[in-house]
This record gives sequence, C-alpha cells and structure tokens, in this order.
Amino acid sequence: MPTILCIDDEALGLQIRRAVLERAGYRVLTAIDGAAGLALFRGETVDGVVLDYYMPEMDGGAVAETMRRERPDVPIMLLSAYINLPTEVVQRVDVTLLKGEGPRELLEKLRLMLRSAGSPAAGLIS
Amino acid sequence: MKPIAFNRTLRQLVALPILLLLILGSFLVWQIQVTARAQRELDHSDRVTAELQELQNLFIDQETGLRGFQLTGDPVMLAPWKAAAGPIQSRFSDLRQMLTGDPVQMAQLSTLRSRYDQWLGFADAVLHQDAAALNAAGMNQRGKAMMDAIRATVSAMQLREANRREQQYHYARWLQSRELLSLLLSFLTVGTILVFFTRHHVRAVSASYLRRIAEITARSEELFDSQQWFKTTLESIGDAVIACDIDGQVSFMNAVAEKLTGWTLGDARGKPLETVFRIIHEETRQAAENPVAKVRRLRKVIGLANHTVLIARDNREFVIDDSAAPIMSGADNMIGVVLVFRDVTEERHMQSALVASEKLAVAGRLAASIAHEIHNPLDSVANLHFLLDEETDQEKRAEYLRLAQQELGRTMQISRTMLSLYREPRTPIEIQLRELVDGVLLLLDRRLQHQGIHLVTEIADDLSVEGFPAELRQVLTNLIANAMDASGPKGRIRIRVQRAEAGELRGVGALIEIADSGPGIPPETVSRLFQPFFTTKGANGTGLGLWISMGIVQKHGGSIQVVRSDDPELPGACIRVFLPARTFAAASPLTA
Repeated sequence: MPTILCIDDEALGLQIRRAVLERAGYRVLTAIDGAAGLALFRGETVDGVVLDYYMPEMDGGAVAETMRRERPDVPIMLLSAYINLPTEVVQRVDVTLLKGEGPRELLEKLRLMLRSAGSPAAGLIS
Repeated sequence: MKPIAFNRTLRQLVALPILLLLILGSFLVWQIQVTARAQRELDHSDRVTAELQELQNLFIDQETGLRGFQLTGDPVMLAPWKAAAGPIQSRFSDLRQMLTGDPVQMAQLSTLRSRYDQWLGFADAVLHQDAAALNAAGMNQRGKAMMDAIRATVSAMQLREANRREQQYHYARWLQSRELLSLLLSFLTVGTILVFFTRHHVRAVSASYLRRIAEITARSEELFDSQQWFKTTLESIGDAVIACDIDGQVSFMNAVAEKLTGWTLGDARGKPLETVFRIIHEETRQAAENPVAKVRRLRKVIGLANHTVLIARDNREFVIDDSAAPIMSGADNMIGVVLVFRDVTEERHMQSALVASEKLAVAGRLAASIAHEIHNPLDSVANLHFLLDEETDQEKRAEYLRLAQQELGRTMQISRTMLSLYREPRTPIEIQLRELVDGVLLLLDRRLQHQGIHLVTEIADDLSVEGFPAELRQVLTNLIANAMDASGPKGRIRIRVQRAEAGELRGVGALIEIADSGPGIPPETVSRLFQPFFTTKGANGTGLGLWISMGIVQKHGGSIQVVRSDDPELPGACIRVFLPARTFAAASPLTA
C-alpha cells in the first residue's frame, strides 16, 4: 500500500482529500503546513507527495525544493487554485493539478506519477 | 533737463525781458525828467525876460507921465504915472520870487529897486516943485541920468537872462541828442541781451522738449509693443482666458475662450460674466458660484470647484478645469478678475478609461485570490461528490452532504463579496466602516496569511460614512495591498479606524490609518505618489492605484495624507484617509 504525504493548509479540504485517497487504497499522511509536512517526509516512508502550493509561512514551491534536495526520488504532485504557477516551481515537481479538476483526475495523475517514478506499489491502484 | 531746471529756465525767459524793460523805462523817465527840467529853465528865463520887459515899459510909462507933467504942469498928464505905479510893485514882487535861485540877478534886482526908489524920490521932488523949477535944465538932466541907470540895470538883467537862456537852450539841445543816443544804445543793449539770452534759453528748453518728446515716443512705442506682445500671447495661449472688470463685466476674451463659450469678444464685452461664462456642477447640475464674486471675496487665486461644466452659448457642454485670479493695481486696489480655463472633456474621458483599466487590473489581481478561494471549496465539493458515489454508509453520506453544503456556502459567500465589489449603487449610501474593512480583509486574508503578515485592526464601532462602497473598497484594497507589498513577508500592518472630530479644515468624519513595518516612503517620492503612472513596483504595478484612490477619496470630499509613523514597531509608511461623515448632503438629491 503506497504511502502518500498530503500537505494543505485548508484543514477541511485536506481531510476530504485524505478520505478520497484512502478510499482509493492509499495510506495517507497529512500535514497542515510545510514544516509539519517536511517533518513527516523525513520521518516516514513516503512514496509520493500531494502538495498544495498556496500556503502561509512556507509555500508549496519551497517545500518541494527542500524535498527534492533531500530525496529526489520521491515524486511530487503540486495542487494549486492558480492557473499561472511560477515556471521554476512547475519544473521542480513531477505533476501539477488544478484544484477543482476533480478526484478522478487526481487519482489518475497520481497513479501515473507513481508508476513513472518506478514505485513498487504503483500498480496496486487501477 | 529736469522739471525744476526746466521751470527755472521758463521763469528766467519771462522775468529777464520784464526786468530789462523796467530798467529801460526808469532810464527813459529819468531822461524825460531831466529834459523837462531844462525846458522849465528855458520857460523861466523867458518869463523873467518878459517880466523885465514889462517892468521897463512901466518905467517908461511913469517917466513919460512925469515928463508930461513937468512940461505942462497939468496933473492930467500924470495918469500913466499913476496907472503904472501898482503894476511896478507887483512886477518887482514877481521878479523877486522868480530870481530867488540866482544871487547875481537878485543883487541886480536890489540895485534896480534902489535906483527906482531914488528915481521915485526925484519924481516926488518934481511933483512938489513949482513950474519954473520943473523946467530947470538941471532937473531934467538928473531925472534922465537916473532913468538911464535904471534902464542900464534892466538891460544888464535882460542880458544876463538872455545869456542864461542861451546856455539853457544849448543844454536842452545837448540833452535831447544825448537822450536820443542813450535811447538808441539802451535799445541796442537790451535787444542784444535779450537776443543772446533768449536764444540760449529757448535752445535749452527746445532741446529738452525735443528730448522729452523722443523719450515719450520711445516709451509709447515700447508700451505699444509690450501691449501687442501680451495681446498676442493671450490670443495664442492654449487655454481660454476671460478678463472682467471689478463689476464682473467681460472686458477681454481670447480666441480659445470665444470658441468654448460660443461668444465673440464683440458680443461679450460689457456683459456680466455669468451670462457669457455659464457654469454648473457636473453632477448636481446646479449653478456654480460666480468666480468673480468668489475672488472679490477672498482676494486671492482660486481653483474653481472640480466637476465644473461650462455651458456654451449654443448649449454645448464642456467639462472644464479652471482658475480665477484677481487683477491688482498696486498692493490693495483690485481692478478686475482673470479666468483661465480649458476643456478637459477629452482628458476626463481618458481618465475614465484609465480608471476602468485600473479597475480591470484590480479585478485581475482579485480574480487570482478569488479563484483560489473558490477553487478550494469547489475541489472539496468534487471530492465529496466522489466519496458520496463510493460510500454506502448512510451516516457518512449525510456527513459528506453536510460538508458539501458548507463548502458550497463558502463559495456563495465569496461570489457575493466579489459581486458587491462591482455592483455599485448610483446614489451614495451609508457605509458601516467595520463592514467595509472586514469585506476587504476577507478577500486579502489568503495573501496576508501566505505572506505571514501580522495584522492588527483597531476599528471603532458604529462608525459610518456616506458614499459609494465599491469605490471605497477599491481604495482600501489598494492601500492595504501596498502596505503588504511594503512590509513584505512576516511584516506588520496596523489598520486603525477612528472618529475624526470637526477640525479647522474639515468636518466630522472618519480617519482610516494604515501603517506598515516596511522601509517607508522617501520624501522625494511622496509628492509623486498620487501622480498617474508613478509606480515603485516595476512591471507589477500600473501606477494608477494611488492616483485613482486619491480621485475617489476627493470625490467623497475627503483627503489622503502620507505622514511619519509614530509607532517604533511600524516604522514604515503611515497613510491617513479622512472621509467626511456627510459628503453629498449639500449636493443631494443626486439625479440618478
């Protein structure tokens, strides 16, 4: 069962996203800001990250940069309500997803991301 | 030549001839007196001679009478003797008077008198002698000798008087010729002096006069040139110019003013300004105050009210920007008023376009945060919908539905807030400032949180102003966004809204103060802050935000100030917005 680290400052949205991912068969870790997310990222086995871009204190771009530096093999999906994300941030992550595209799009992109990253558990979800 | 010297010369020109004529006249009078005296001397001599002659004749008469008596003894013959006796006495008396000034003649006269008295003694003796004695030869010889002596004396006196007369006559002749000569010389001298003197002075006066005329001509030419220069300048100036006299009657208009008002100078001259320059308030359409009256009251340059519309003679309307200034003659004497104005209708359209474009930019910036706000709950709703599809447990389904409802409610609230930004009432309404600030902060909340900015609000309750909420929201959004940009991540911002009591320059209202912990605004930048297209944000700013904010606040009758912060924790910029409680009361009812 792949473990997904989910980081978003919107508590309610985070819980609902967690429910969606769990229903799809993932083990889900959640964090309400970047610092907490990085702590989990370092302390747990994580197969993929679903990261919100727009967060106080430390935004998704900064979190992704740290994760890449520490463990470049873990794929990162960046969620955003914005269409125009900064280019350097887009280049830093594997996949971007616009909030509101829907859960099926989320699950499909996540599956493809994990598979292309060569995660052993990638094939579990279909 | 100075005026004093000029007057002195003129006085000399008149005085000298008068003086010379007086001298000449006195000289003539003296000459005449001398001549008259000589003439009197001549007359005197003639009278003396005549008197002597008369006396001699009387002596002859007496002698003849005496001789006749001697010869005849007839007393009748003595008639001439008696007749001459009285006149002889009076002649002597006359002669004594006449000869007083001549001692020689006086002596002769005394001699004559004594000889006559001797002769009278002889005659007396003759008259009392008898006839024989009367005819005695000795007697006759004696009488004759006496009479001869008398005649000789008279002749001597006559001769002396004749000599004297001769002398006097020559003297008078000499005087006459001297008089003529001196008269001639005097006239020549006076004439020469007058000619030289007047020629010199008249030349000086005439030179001075010519110089003065040349100066006046030059000055009037200069005046004419400068008048033409000013006239041409006024005529060719791009702004409209109308000058009025102190009674507010039009005295001058340039071509631009003629074009805008639709009046020619010929038609407008002498007309009251309010007939030619009809102005109203752009929004209330009520007549604006006559600028002449206002300048006369305030005695200084005034900018006329914003939103002034000029109604031309053909009822066309122009939005104008104008000012009026007193025309002073000397320090205190106001002699008229000059109005300078220009058609800003195009500019106003341009401004409207700029305002619209800034509104779009604001909308664009807000759209980003709104998209975020809306996409978050929408994402949750989509996720919940997925879960609802998958879930069979009724309790969980009910929970998902409730959450979906909640998230949709959030979406609705955000969309309502956004709509209220752009749905504007046409008349000013009462605005609760707390609501206004909260609405703005709701939209900026995400960005504030994202940047980790510490925001403090101190908002007085029940504070309201009158105005257009969307416009004021735009102002606040702008000012708070600027404060966020200035303070940067983890900065501090304080928003304070408090009651402003009536001061010297403004009425009761509200003071909104936004202070930040940024680097502050350099003094040289402050003056340019509210100019259009001025930005410190490079490509990220339009440079219109503060300019439009200023326009909106001014429209509400308020003002924006940049002041120094007195809070050490907020050392950056401190922007103060004053909004009067009642802005449009005077202008109401507004026509919608």
